[in-house]
Amino acid sequence: MRFKKLLSVLMIMLVIISLAGCGGQKSSQNQEQGQSSDTKHGGTLQDALGSDPPGLDVQQNSMLETYYMARLLFSTLVRYKGSTTELEPELLAEMPTVSSDGLTYHFKLKPDLKFSDGTPLTSKDVKFTFERMLKPETKAINQWVFEPIKGAKAMEDGKATELAGFKVINDREFEITLESPYAPFIQNLAVPCASIYPAEATQKAGEEWTLNPIGSGPYKIAEWVHDDHITLERNPYYFEKGLPYIDKINMRIIEDEATMTMEFENGNIDILAIPDSEYPRLSSDPNFKKMIVENTPLNTYFYVMNENVKYFQDIRVRKATALAIDKNKILKELLNNRGIVAKGLLGPGIPGYNENNPGFPYDPEQAKKLLAEAGYPNGFEVENWQAKNETFYKRNVAIQAMLKQVGIDMKIVQMDSASWRQSRNNGKVPIYLANWWADIPDPDNYMYNILHSSQTPLWSLNYKNPKVDELIEKARVSTDMNERIKMYQEAEKIAIYDDVSIIPLFHIKEYYIVQPYVKNVQFHPTGIGSYNYRTMWLEKK
Amino acid sequence: MISFIVRRLISMIPVLIGITLITFILINVVPGDPVVNMMGKRVDAQTIANIRHQLGLDRPLYIQYLDFLFKAVRGDLGRSFYNHQDVMKTILQRFPTTVKLSLSSMAVAIVIGITVGIVSSVKQYTFVDYSSMIIALMGISAPVFWVAIILQLIFGLKLKWFPISGYSGIQSMVLPAIALGTRFAATIARMTRSSMLEVIRQDFIRTARAKGLSERVVIYKHALKNAMIPVITIIGLQIGGLLTGSILTETVFSIPGLGRLSIEAINNRDFPVIQGTVLFTALIFVFTNLIVDISYSFLDPRIRYDGGES
Repeated sequence: MRFKKLLSVLMIMLVIISLAGCGGQKSSQNQEQGQSSDTKHGGTLQDALGSDPPGLDVQQNSMLETYYMARLLFSTLVRYKGSTTELEPELLAEMPTVSSDGLTYHFKLKPDLKFSDGTPLTSKDVKFTFERMLKPETKAINQWVFEPIKGAKAMEDGKATELAGFKVINDREFEITLESPYAPFIQNLAVPCASIYPAEATQKAGEEWTLNPIGSGPYKIAEWVHDDHITLERNPYYFEKGLPYIDKINMRIIEDEATMTMEFENGNIDILAIPDSEYPRLSSDPNFKKMIVENTPLNTYFYVMNENVKYFQDIRVRKATALAIDKNKILKELLNNRGIVAKGLLGPGIPGYNENNPGFPYDPEQAKKLLAEAGYPNGFEVENWQAKNETFYKRNVAIQAMLKQVGIDMKIVQMDSASWRQSRNNGKVPIYLANWWADIPDPDNYMYNILHSSQTPLWSLNYKNPKVDELIEKARVSTDMNERIKMYQEAEKIAIYDDVSIIPLFHIKEYYIVQPYVKNVQFHPTGIGSYNYRTMWLEKK
Repeated sequence: MISFIVRRLISMIPVLIGITLITFILINVVPGDPVVNMMGKRVDAQTIANIRHQLGLDRPLYIQYLDFLFKAVRGDLGRSFYNHQDVMKTILQRFPTTVKLSLSSMAVAIVIGITVGIVSSVKQYTFVDYSSMIIALMGISAPVFWVAIILQLIFGLKLKWFPISGYSGIQSMVLPAIALGTRFAATIARMTRSSMLEVIRQDFIRTARAKGLSERVVIYKHALKNAMIPVITIIGLQIGGLLTGSILTETVFSIPGLGRLSIEAINNRDFPVIQGTVLFTALIFVFTNLIVDISYSFLDPRIRYDGGES
């Protein structure tokens, strides 16, 4: 009898242990896979923005906060698949077909699409969105996404009221014709500023649209108390059934980085991009260390030397400056190795990234020699103008010390961002630390916007090489990706290694800290509008 | 009294016009174009020209100013360049928050400042006096943001007694009120002490004591009331300063007040919001000073504004 009792107890224990074991295995599997049948609906995500969005009309501004909110409120025709740079249809039923001449695109929308107010989303709304962006009275600033379309220029000039290259076939189908082939056109349609607006509601809202827009994204605005919080709730008409998982998002506006970090530590914020100043502390704390998630967005940090400044007109001086900066040291000491040293303008993840680029080694002796050859054996004085930013200031101070060693006396002048932007756009800044975060993962986005002579004055770079211009212009209209890559790599080699137009410094990584109950955190590849909120879920709450 | 108030109100008009004119000149002289700032990293000359035209920034400056002035007289401060919100509406939305923060911090400052000031003056040259004045000196010297972060760390993060940031009820106002009020408490304490010491040495106080009045009555009824004139002046000036100078506190504690609105507007070169907040702030200053002047006559019967002896 006693033996039987013992046997039954043992059996029960065995069952419990095996069940527990199964549970454990399942849990770890889920964590590895990210998404699983364990996904939960409901709860409120506590999130924060660094400043109040200056309006939510993505056609009228491209501030980070606006783009960030756009990912929640609106949808685009195409989007990036998870965290990859591969495009997939969002509002479209399938990827568009392109005519053999690369000029005409045929689009078909998903059936039964609706905006968050329940009104249907049709081809007419898409046409309205495109035309609104191009009309001068919209005061839009992001026309670039639709500019390759035939007739866009005429609309921008106020010479046409309709977009000639946009043809509505029926409620779900439409055709777009470009002025000339433009390879990254489909990529442009995935940028938040290409979000689709409802024609009727937008017109009705007038100037107020930017404060309370309606979209077809996973969430809609429930409340916006400026400079305090924005509450978002699920869009009941969202076209992806079952998504999003989280019912509500409470987006607090917290400007001060230290305050934001304390709120995370107190459990009042669930997810946070770690401020630079807080990274060393959080990454060395055993509790917080395991909550840190890494993201590799597409960006390049580089030094701009204004070729209108007499010293920088001499390539030897530009090269000497490049050789005088110890990029590895800055990366190690100031960035805690959060990134890699850049050897070109194009970084990893961008087609055309050339990992075989030689880079500019740290060689102060050679730098001194070059300066002497250029007629500056005792160096020279130059002003670095920079918008006030603690992180940039520290990096500039490090570079200042390095340049000083070869005789270049760089004085750092900090300005407020509005003044600095104007000076930069007027081509007046002598030397500064710049960065580019890709809008789209296409080399044209970097090469044209930074190195084409039509753009370089706006960067205070004032670099001009007709050969580089020609290669960039040819590459952007070619539809053969391999051919494009070759042209971009050649242009990059000429601009950076033959001409030393800019000094590539690094491609930085972003670090986020996430409460353990927030699951399936994925990031957008461009880093703009960071998280994929629609697939994130909360294990508790 | 009424004619004094009317005179003062009329004298406000040139002051306010002067302030708006100086602000208008400054925002147009200081580098930083609102449209360029709006455009961020992408710049296109045609787009800039178009937006400047749409916003009326391509008109001659004197027309822009007169347009602002005539509209302002009618209570229309225009719309923000960024979110197109009505500026007057935005200011009126933010103002109550800033008033609550300013009044609560002023309450903290008055209670602490006057108490410490009285105790120090009564216990002059004692340990209490020296330590109070050293603490007051530290209070004046400590930057607001530093006090704010220390309070957040101790009472928000470690002890969890109060919210670290945000604006949600009285509890969320405690730390910002202390952070903002500390410096003013120190100023008030020092002013109260010196003013009290001056009054305590006067003949009428000796008389009061000679009459056999208790020390409590002498200090609180006779000395304190007379010592309050300079203190009230300081408080009056500081209320104006508090209403407008709470930018750092509002930023650190994420409070959606007028200070944050104005600093964001300056950073973004949002001209209508800058003009609106400056005009509104100037009005607050001017009215606060008027109220302070009127309050003198209640505190000191010798002060009369209607042609009487002053």
